[in-house]
Amino acid sequence: MPDTPTQQQDRRRRLLRNIVGKGGAYLVLIGFAAIMLFPFVYMAAGAVKTPSDTFRYPPKVLPRVPLVAEVDGQEQEVFSLDFGRGEEPAVLVETGVDAGLFVDPDDPERTVPWPLALASETGSSVTVDGESLPTYEVELVTGTETLALQRNTAVGRFQQLDGDAVTYAVPRTATPAETIEAQWGNFEEVIGLRDLDRALTNTMLVTILVVAGTLFTSIMGGYAFARVRFPGRDTMFLAYLGSIMIPFIVLIIPLFQLMVGLGWVNSIGSLVWPFLFNAYGTFLMRQFFIAIPKDLEEAAFIDGAKRGRILWTIFVPLSWPAIATLATFMFLYAWNSFIWPLVSINVANADNFVLTLALQQLGGVAGESPNLLFAGIVLSVLVPFTVFAFAQRYFVENVATSGIK
Amino acid sequence: MDTLTPTQSEATQAGLPLAVMLGWRIVVALGLVVATIAVAFAVGIEVEGTLRWVFTAALGGAGLLALLAIPWTRALVHRGRAVGFFLDYLIAIGGAFAMAQGADLFVGLDTAAARFNESALFLIIIVLGWFVGGLAERSSNPALARRISRATMAAGLAVLLISMGLLPGLVEFARRLTGAGVFIPLIVALVATYSARLLWSDRAARAFSTDQKQAEVMDGFFFVSPNLIGFLVFLAGPLLVSLFISFTDWDGLTEASFVGLENYGRLFGDDAFLRSLRNILVFGLVAVPASVVPGLFLAALLNSKLPGMKVFRAIYFLPSIAGVVGVTLIWKNLLNATVGFVNYGILRATELFNSITGAELEAAQPLWISGSSVALFSVMIVFAWQQLGFNTVLFLAGMQGIDGSLYEAADIDGASAWNRFRSITVPLLKPTTVFVVTNATILALQLFNEPFILQAPAPPNGPDNSTLSPVIYLYQNAFQRFRQGYASAVAWALFALIFVITLIYFSRQDEDGVLSA
Repeated sequence: MPDTPTQQQDRRRRLLRNIVGKGGAYLVLIGFAAIMLFPFVYMAAGAVKTPSDTFRYPPKVLPRVPLVAEVDGQEQEVFSLDFGRGEEPAVLVETGVDAGLFVDPDDPERTVPWPLALASETGSSVTVDGESLPTYEVELVTGTETLALQRNTAVGRFQQLDGDAVTYAVPRTATPAETIEAQWGNFEEVIGLRDLDRALTNTMLVTILVVAGTLFTSIMGGYAFARVRFPGRDTMFLAYLGSIMIPFIVLIIPLFQLMVGLGWVNSIGSLVWPFLFNAYGTFLMRQFFIAIPKDLEEAAFIDGAKRGRILWTIFVPLSWPAIATLATFMFLYAWNSFIWPLVSINVANADNFVLTLALQQLGGVAGESPNLLFAGIVLSVLVPFTVFAFAQRYFVENVATSGIK
Repeated sequence: MDTLTPTQSEATQAGLPLAVMLGWRIVVALGLVVATIAVAFAVGIEVEGTLRWVFTAALGGAGLLALLAIPWTRALVHRGRAVGFFLDYLIAIGGAFAMAQGADLFVGLDTAAARFNESALFLIIIVLGWFVGGLAERSSNPALARRISRATMAAGLAVLLISMGLLPGLVEFARRLTGAGVFIPLIVALVATYSARLLWSDRAARAFSTDQKQAEVMDGFFFVSPNLIGFLVFLAGPLLVSLFISFTDWDGLTEASFVGLENYGRLFGDDAFLRSLRNILVFGLVAVPASVVPGLFLAALLNSKLPGMKVFRAIYFLPSIAGVVGVTLIWKNLLNATVGFVNYGILRATELFNSITGAELEAAQPLWISGSSVALFSVMIVFAWQQLGFNTVLFLAGMQGIDGSLYEAADIDGASAWNRFRSITVPLLKPTTVFVVTNATILALQLFNEPFILQAPAPPNGPDNSTLSPVIYLYQNAFQRFRQGYASAVAWALFALIFVITLIYFSRQDEDGVLSA
């Protein structure tokens, strides 16, 4: 059946609306993506900047260094000057050339310092800002102009880097030419400066132990809560659930005192041993185990298998998604925890710093070199970002399951 | 179940050294009774203050159980096995703990960490083995691939441990074993472990005629025990202690004095605390919506099945993976008043606006960190920026749980995208929304890291206390002014606030019967 004109019109309108809608959606998404990414781009670029480059105004994202060229066997700073065809790289070949500061009578804001040798007096004069000044015919690179001489000055002679053209400018105010160049040495420097490599490996060790320990206790406990009947189980489980909402901050003073009492304070162990158990992890594993069909284990029971065997040979292999989800959760938790290391580890004991603590300390002292601070931050996010790249699914899954609770 | 005749019973016991087990039960009971008396009357073991009575009660209870276990074990009833196992398990753990503590094993992790610094690269071998295992399913010989994977990982672990100084560590450990404080607990732990294993065995189950149900109970407590010990020692115990401390005046070093509700009473007259409450409420009222509302809309867009959505999702999620410390430090530089991008952006935007409209607005250049009127606003920016992606992903997960046929029906009725969003997505997403808002609120109320890092090296309470949050106030009281009793009261006040708000949110959710449904 052929479409009637109104139907066709309707379809076209829908199509248009669709395109506009989709375009708008992408625009919003890209806008937010830019907001989310910009600080990271800024960080990554900042990590390979020179110190002075981080303080430039107006700020620039990409790392820049002054351009240097070798002229007659000598390193020379390169400037960016106009030879009549826009800005070109140039080097200073002579300083102290006698010059005058010429002003454009039609536009008093515009001043040109130029050698007197390239100017010839016209004999007439002009009034600029209520001052009578002699006029000159000045041979600029862009052509000859009639300008007024304001006062005498000195300029430098600049030569085109890959040519013979010559121009003049005041060296102090000439725009230096820059090139985009990364300072990879920053990473090495920051590692040496604050033992950041030590903080990095400490954080890795703490994270590995916390993740492994929590996985073990959560798998055991989750299985008991999901599949084994024992008196007080449900009350205990409710207590676990309730404890998820207890803010860590309520526990921090007694935990600190416990660490002092045991003599663990200021040691890396204090960042590990109290965190091998996690109520949320137990809950997560229990929820997953409870959904596993019972007939899978019943056959094994009949064969006389023990619960421990059933757990590790039947439940665990089936539960990799939940285990990976919990692992990512604990990984982020352990890698990024800050307030507890701040309380437990003495600031003088840099040997036992974790990354968060090291970065915070670095932030306090790196006032003069934010580039090193950025390099440190890059080092600290490198591992989480890599893990995320490989296990994105589980990170997202973790968020999704936490929403279901 | 048929009962066993005395002879049968003797036969099943044949493998069990019953006399030795009884002897051990008596030793345990005597040991616990002696320990109880020693602690209670402070003979040889001095425990200060309230802890002394806690210890006495715990040891006394265990001693009583141990005494009861003797006749039960003799009579070969299941209770004897269960209680005996329970005691042996605790003694084994206690002994191992005392041994490790005596040999400085817990603190010894510092030494391991120093070595790990040089040998962390061996982790790569383990990771490599892991990847081989991951590829096993796709390879032509999965069994072989899996074996290679396992061997590589084991080899990697061995190399890692050896390079971390496992062997000299063991030698050092053996040397420390000669100390009585290490050696005796180790022996006690080993004996208790042996006894526990014996009681756990099938032989013991038959001898003590444990039935299936009783065996299940033992299994249950055994499996939950690693978890339960952590829960009791590092959560429930400290929680109670924290409550107790909040009723005392304590500097954390000398004896605490009980002051009743005085700390709580002082809170209400403490201008700094009230200021911190006001700050956190203002903060929550702005930062929570700022991180939730855009998240809802972004999730709706991400849910549209257009190509490339996974990439956007990953990008939005990045801030929640990068740690809050690093992220806040980046923002601290972006917010720099003189050379930061934020003020530069404001300047350029104002110039652009002026050049288009001909207006002559002056660009605001706030002192984001040190200006008392905007310092808290800076914290809001960082918090909302970091939380937004997380909330978006939460919303997205909620949306993906909504029945697609509802949208199809709406499509047939010719509903616009906005109408579908408003009348299907938003109402059905309410449970998720409640969770997202609650979660963000709880996080906001515990604000600490962002102002602490933004303001450094200045004190974290910010200019004119403008970024003082309850947790910062708690930290300063507990660890800088050493008023740990008062700080605990702050903690409990904050906990109460969080509790009430969570309850209100969830009761609102339950009005619609979502929680029970």
